[in-house]
Order: sequence, then C-alpha cells, then structure tokens
Amino acid sequence: MNKSAVELFRFYTSSLLVQISGKKAANLPEFLAQLRLVDESVIFYHIHHAFREYYFAPGQYSNDFARWIEDEFKESALAEKIASVELLEVTSLAALRDQLVKIMEQFLGERSEKQEAVPAGREFYFLANVGIIVPTQYEVRTIEEFVLALERVGMRSLYYHFFDARLRLGRKTNDFSNWIRHSLKNEQLAKEIELLDPYLMTMDQLKKRIIELCLGERKPPIMKTLAGRLYARFWKRGK
Amino acid sequence: MSKRTINDYVQVTRQQNIDELMLLAEKLQGLKVKMVNSTAVGGGVAEMLHRIIPLYNQLGLDVTWDVIKGGGDFFNVTKAFHNALHGSRVEITQEMFNVYRETNEHNSRQMAFDSDVVIVHDPQPLLLVSKRNSSRAKWVWRCHIDTAKPNPAVWEYLQFFVRQYDASIFSSPSFAKELPNPQYLIYPAIDPFADKNRELSQSEIEAVLNKFHIPNDKPIIVQISRFDYLKDPLGVFETFRLIKKSHDCRFVYAGGTANDDPEGAKVLAELQEKAAQEKDFHILLLPDFADIEVNALQRAATIVMQKSLREGFGLTVTEALWKGKPVVASAVGGIPLQVIHNFTGLLAYSIEGAAYQIRYLLNNPQAANRLGVYGREHVREKFLITRKIRSYLLLFIALAHKGESIIQL
Repeated sequence: MNKSAVELFRFYTSSLLVQISGKKAANLPEFLAQLRLVDESVIFYHIHHAFREYYFAPGQYSNDFARWIEDEFKESALAEKIASVELLEVTSLAALRDQLVKIMEQFLGERSEKQEAVPAGREFYFLANVGIIVPTQYEVRTIEEFVLALERVGMRSLYYHFFDARLRLGRKTNDFSNWIRHSLKNEQLAKEIELLDPYLMTMDQLKKRIIELCLGERKPPIMKTLAGRLYARFWKRGK
Repeated sequence: MSKRTINDYVQVTRQQNIDELMLLAEKLQGLKVKMVNSTAVGGGVAEMLHRIIPLYNQLGLDVTWDVIKGGGDFFNVTKAFHNALHGSRVEITQEMFNVYRETNEHNSRQMAFDSDVVIVHDPQPLLLVSKRNSSRAKWVWRCHIDTAKPNPAVWEYLQFFVRQYDASIFSSPSFAKELPNPQYLIYPAIDPFADKNRELSQSEIEAVLNKFHIPNDKPIIVQISRFDYLKDPLGVFETFRLIKKSHDCRFVYAGGTANDDPEGAKVLAELQEKAAQEKDFHILLLPDFADIEVNALQRAATIVMQKSLREGFGLTVTEALWKGKPVVASAVGGIPLQVIHNFTGLLAYSIEGAAYQIRYLLNNPQAANRLGVYGREHVREKFLITRKIRSYLLLFIALAHKGESIIQL
C-alpha cells in the first residue's frame, strides 16, 4: 500500500524579476569592495542564475563573477577558484559571501601592481532581484503522486525546492528530502536525494534522477502500476 | 495584431513555461494596463506591441495601447533627443524643449489615465507623467535606448521627469542611471512566429538567394545592418578580405537605409565602390518590411557576423542566434548579453579578431554547431516573447508590492 504523508507536499514555483542595483566595479579591488557591501541576494543571483538559465549546458558556464574575471582580466586561476566554491557545502548567503571575499582578499593581497580598469561598458554590474513565489496546483501525499507532479512542474519549481531550499532551511538538504524524511518517514530515500549534486547535471537530468530514485524504492511488482510505467518510460529514454 | 494564441508557443517553449505564465496571470486577472508610445507602425517597439498585447489580453489582463500625436517639429526634437541619449553631439535649444513640453501637455489632455498601470515607452511621451498625481496608476518608463553615455544636458532635463515614475525598465544594466526608484532589467525579445523568424522551407530560402543572385555554392557569411558607419560596413569588407585569403566564401551585407538618415546613401555608395571588384561580396539594399528576405538570408548563412561599432540591444543578433547560427560579433551595446564568448557565440574586438574567429569556425564546424545550439537555447530561455511576457507579469506583481524583495502569493 502506498504510504501517505502526515503532511501534504505543495509544489511552488519561483520567478525572478531582475533589478539593476546601480552598483558596478571596473577592476578587481572595486569588485571586492562591492562584494563586501552588496545585498546577499545579489551574490546569490550572480552565483546561481546560470543554473536556472543555462540548464541546457551543465558545467559550461560557471558563474557571473568567475566569467567576468576570466573574460576581462584573464586571471584564470582566480576565476577557477571563484567558480569552484563548494556550493553544496554552503547553507547561508553570509557564508557564501565570506568564501568569495576570502578568495579575493588572498588574490589581491599577493598583488602589488595597480589594477587597470576595464573600458566603460565592460564593468561588472551587480544585479538584485525580486523573488515571486506562487503555489502551483500540485499538492501530493504519496511518492506516486509526488513523481507525477514532479514530472509536470517546471524548472523554476525544481529550482525553488532544490537550490533555494538549502539556504531557506539553513541545512544541507532540500524540500523534497525534508518532506520525504519527516512526513513519509523514509530516511533512505531522503538521503539518496540529498546526495545528488545538482550543479553538475541539467535540470532535466536532476528531475529524472529524483524520479528514478523515488521509483527505485519499489522493485518489479510496481511495474504494472502507473508509477512503474513511468519508470519504464524514463528507463527506456535514458538508454 | 497577431492572431497567435498563447498556447501556440508550446511549439517553441516548454508547456510548463506556458502553464507558469497562466499561473502568474491568474493573480492579475482584469488588471488594466495602458501602453503609450509615439508610433503605431514601424520600429521595433510598435512591432512588438502589435504582437504582445493580444497575448496579454488572452491571459486575462486588459491591456490597451495609445499613440501620442505630434507634428514634424515635435518629432524632429525627439529625434534629436534620441541621438543625444545615444551620446551624439546635438545642439538643443530652449525652443526645442518648449515644443517637446507643449506636445506632451496637449496629448496628456487628450488621454485618460484610468488604468492600474501606465507604461510609457521611450522619451517621446515621457512628460505624460505630469498626470501621475491625478491618476491611481503606477507609472513605469520603458527605455529602449542605449543611454550608457547620454548627452549630459539632455539627460539632465529628461531625468527630472524620469524620477517621477514609480519604476523604470532598461534593456541592459549598463544603460541604467542613478535614480531614486527601482530600475528593472527586461530584455527585448523576438517573436519566433513573426515573418523575420518563422521557420522557412529550403525552397523559400533558395528563392530569396535566387532573387538576389547569390549562388549557394560555398560558405556564406551574412551581416544584416543598415548602411551606417556605426555598423562598420567598411570594416566588414576588410574582414571579408582577410577571411578570403584562406577560405573561399561569400559575404552578404544586407540592410536598408533609414528614411531619416541622409548618411545612408553615402555609406552605401562608399561600400559599393570599395567592393566593386569583389564578386563574392554581395551588397543588398533591402526595401522596408523585407522580413522574409532577412529571415532567409540569416538561415542561408554559415556564420552570421555583427561587427558594429555601437549597438543598441542588437536584435539582429538575437534573430541569428534563434536560427541556430554561429555568431561572431563585436562586444558593444547589448551584444555581450547575448553572445557569451565561446559559449553562445564568439566576440571580437577588431577586424583581425573578427576574421580570425570566422576562420576558426569555418575550420571547425563542430565547434560552430555547438555555439549555434547553445545560442538558440540561450534565446529560448531569455529573449523570446514568452519570457518578456513573464517579466512584465512579474513587474505588475512587484508594482503592487512596493519595497518587497520576496513576494509570496
């Protein structure tokens, strides 16, 4: 029998309206100064938006900061460090800012020469955003319902529950694992989903992996059910 | 007005994106929005309003569109303002400010502002904001111009009015200004079903090549631009000459001349003279509304180039990327927002650089193909009409939640 959750899980979707903060940097010391000052949501936006927008090419675009440093200053080692911040380990924006500031301070501390400014128009423009969160129609109480809903919701929903959640909850988890652990009392599945690295796969791949893990909970007898048919379809598609 | 329905766009974007538009629009049912600009036909703004307004209305909003009226003297003034905002040296007299103010005042008396939101496009109707205090609407100024380096005197005058709006929208962060109210970033967009972008059959493409006597026998590089020094037509020809040293190819430079640009004919003649001996360099003077021709030329291209010296947002680049073409373009205006170097295209900073990048792509069709694929996906995500609708729906929600950075509905 399907296990019903103590609490229902409601899928939300989050959209970003991008706001121009008016802050910019023309060289690396200015960049560091702004990095210390700008709102945390600005940092979150520049580090994360590529995962929302360039989901079609995982790993091809690091983040806006690293990209600018590489493109404008050809400081590949610094760009690489900024690109390699362990996002899975970060559970607060303050910690993320600290990591970035530390990398920049270390780099600039080793440099004595004056930093040239980039030409006008090629400065780094810090962008803020307004996040608008809307509940979708999908509210589920079992894993089977969860899988069906997950298949139907958009990338922004997956993003909200998987990427945003860690910072919202302040823990190395995501909304799905949180619900599966506490409402469905399925620790193993919660853990397996937590171990997925969303930064190295497309959103489609992430969705597919989550669904596979959910359906993998049930072995052959389930193949006759709707969930089983879904699994078979995904399995076939993955071949 | 376009007859497309919002559901037609499932052909170019995921069903979930359309579902989410409907979800956001549910929160805005019946919202009355008035758009105001200065022309009903011609130009990118009017073209987009024709296509986008029916889609807002299908989503349950009540969007109307008014056009301000003005005489030749008014439009001469606003053209001068336009050039000044682009950074050109233009002499502005008190008389010009007077004409501008009087025409705006006259229009403001003719129009009703009983909507929930008023969106004023570009500087021509900017002063309508004088009616803000007597209306309940939220007022938004939508600037489509590259205002990165405006003429200070003109900007000083206009910003007094811009500051009275509840918010403003720019197409690039570098165009934004120091203003007391929120400034939002909303990119221009293309409609994939417009004649300039719709899918064409191979026979339609070949018909256009035949019409312009362009044999389809070797790689074709295309730049679609007005005959304007800012598009660097002579630099384009030099680039072609460098490429031609190692690659047998054709180049098509196609565009029109704006009616209000007396320099266009001179630029065209100069380019024709320079390229007279080069049979593989095709110069096409296109008439107005040659959208299908532009579409076919872009689709026939092996590589699309945009070697501008200055650019607004650069929608011709968006069009080329949408067609899956590898693009080599200058890093000016809004182009770097679209062409992310070595990811969605290649950027160049000189004639030699542009020639090098094109030769690289001609030698590496797989790399060119990858750029084309990513370029198209980039446009699908950020620069299609559906994304623009989403951004405006979000804006309408944000206007009703002033000062909130997270809005939970």
